[in-house]
Amino acid sequence: MQNYKIIIKLAWRNIWRNKRRTILTLLTIVVGCAMIILMNAFAKGGHDQMIEDAVALNTGHIQVHEEGFWDSQTIDYAFKPSEELISTIEGHEAVAGYSRRVHAGVLVALEDVSKGAMIQGIEPEREKTVTNLHEKILPGGRYLEKSDSTHVVMGEMLAKNLKVKVGDRISIISQGFDGSIAAEHLSIVGIFKSGNQEYDRILMLIPLSQAMKTFSMMGYVNSLVIRLGDPDEMGEVIEACREVTEEYSYPIEVMGWKTLMPELVQFIVMDDVAAWIFDFILFMVVAFGILNTIQMSVFERTREFGVMLSIGTQPSQVVAIVLTETVFITLVGIIIGSIIGIGSSVYMHFNPIDYSAYADEIAVWGVNTTIFPATVTVANVVVTGLITFVLAVLFSIFPARRAAKLDPVEAIRTL
Amino acid sequence: MAIIQTSKLYKDYATNGVTVKALRGIDLTIDRGEFSALAGPSGSGKTTLLNIIGGLDHPTNGQVTVNDILLNEQSAKELARIRLNRIGFIFQAYNLIPVLTAIENVEYILLLQGVDKEERYQRSSEILREVGLGDELHRRPQELSGGQQQRVAVARAIVSQPDIVLADEPTANLDQKTGAMLLDMMHDLNKKKGITFLFSTHDQMVMERAERLLHLVDGQVADDEWKKK
Ligand SMILES: Nc1ncnc2c1ncn2[C@@H]1O[C@H](COP(=O)(O)OP(=O)(O)O)[C@@H](O)[C@H]1O
Ligand SMILES: [Mg+2]
Repeated sequence: MQNYKIIIKLAWRNIWRNKRRTILTLLTIVVGCAMIILMNAFAKGGHDQMIEDAVALNTGHIQVHEEGFWDSQTIDYAFKPSEELISTIEGHEAVAGYSRRVHAGVLVALEDVSKGAMIQGIEPEREKTVTNLHEKILPGGRYLEKSDSTHVVMGEMLAKNLKVKVGDRISIISQGFDGSIAAEHLSIVGIFKSGNQEYDRILMLIPLSQAMKTFSMMGYVNSLVIRLGDPDEMGEVIEACREVTEEYSYPIEVMGWKTLMPELVQFIVMDDVAAWIFDFILFMVVAFGILNTIQMSVFERTREFGVMLSIGTQPSQVVAIVLTETVFITLVGIIIGSIIGIGSSVYMHFNPIDYSAYADEIAVWGVNTTIFPATVTVANVVVTGLITFVLAVLFSIFPARRAAKLDPVEAIRTL
Repeated sequence: MAIIQTSKLYKDYATNGVTVKALRGIDLTIDRGEFSALAGPSGSGKTTLLNIIGGLDHPTNGQVTVNDILLNEQSAKELARIRLNRIGFIFQAYNLIPVLTAIENVEYILLLQGVDKEERYQRSSEILREVGLGDELHRRPQELSGGQQQRVAVARAIVSQPDIVLADEPTANLDQKTGAMLLDMMHDLNKKKGITFLFSTHDQMVMERAERLLHLVDGQVADDEWKKK
């Protein structure tokens, strides 16, 4: 079967017969593929960034609590991290850092009114390996230090609402873990602006050691927050933690970020669906562009196909010629499109879109991400190329079969 | 020995409820080595008859055999194979595949037949030399004159040594002189190689050169005239 050689030769020469049309079709494929790859890279990069930002701001990748804490968010649900649990976490190579926290809802007493707020007792040094709130302290203040005691760092909006500034003192009142009244005077050492409206409006940080005393925690904490160096290992780390926490006499929950932040997952899914719809439209534009080209070129060659069929070319060979033309144009288009798509994605990875000027508008959506990089993956490029290729071939089958089924007598009559 | 035999060939075309009787009972025998012409005015059924003999079209009634193969019974695929291996076709014009050079056009037939590369080139270049295109092997059709293009078509039609070459008004798009030269060349091939030709024409110059003239009138053979032998 040496026929494939002549089929390839015919197909290759035919696509260059109408250079303008071929180049236009090629451009459609190139632009389509490049755009799809870049859009998907932006979706992937943006989502990764949003996850990273949300995780790094406060939530971490994994949290361990007494079962029920995450739903109720009350101080009553607390547990004692066992040495075995700590050593399991410290020993896992995917873990970048961990920190214990106490969470307490408090009232901040002002002269005439009181305002609700949320206190997190944190380990200042460890917390820096888990979250990046320490990088969001406004000038004039500082983050908590190991030696701090009745010191507090609070959100910008909260400070504004309380009409306080760095150096001022506030009084808080709450209920301790043991049911007693918890009250404390705290002096403000820093104010943060996280970009997350909720945190900026209600969150205060005090040292864990102080929280233990103020809220009579008796060595219990509300959460143990883990930050991973390699987020892909999340499942394994959760499993390792669960193996230890199963030994507890009371139920413990080990939650990954997807369970901790279901709204973020939902947002990403919806964003993905929107991107897929956009992809679908682009794919259709490309597919119909190819269909149109092949149909035109088959139509223009009616007589030629008639002669070829007359002198003994089999219809299947005519189909092969037309499909090979599609394959050539599409392959070249996909290769160039992928190179441009990958190139622009890589460029946008290192030069991400910076929306920090619109940080306040973005914050309304509960998102603190302002830098949107593109991240291109092998799957993105391969799937885009494959779908384009399959669509192109599918859409060419119709004109190819039409050429093959021509009645040679009729075809030769057309000039 | 008969290469082509038709018996009681009828062909009706139905268009918009009107039936045109293009062929009305053609009984015809073409023997090996003939150089014969179907002559007749436009619309007399020449093209229809050649198409049916060549296995491109089906008769409404009647039978055609090519070298004792009954065409009526063949599948479309088999008919394509018969056209490839047993029949050479020359049409009025635009016979060639535009993206292929002269020799590639001739080789195309041998390629479809599975002849290997060297033999293909050898036979094709030799035939092209015989039709006077030895210097034009690698030109594309658009770089050749109308007469040269028809010679390539002749070369392609005879390269696989078919049982018969069917040519539908091969000179219709050529001027008198070029047409005459093409016909003389075909006649030469007929004499030297014994290739059987059946062509159609309404051109006096072409009729003069045919050895046998079959006059078609309204889809019937009105006259069967042997001019020389
Ligand atoms: N496909 C067709 N449909 C309808 N009528 C046709 C068709 N082909 C040929 N005819 C008619 O059949 C008759 C013979 O045509 P044709 O074989 O082309 O004659 P010629 O080649 O001698 O000019 C003409 O009347 C023509 O109009
Ligand atoms: Mg005709």
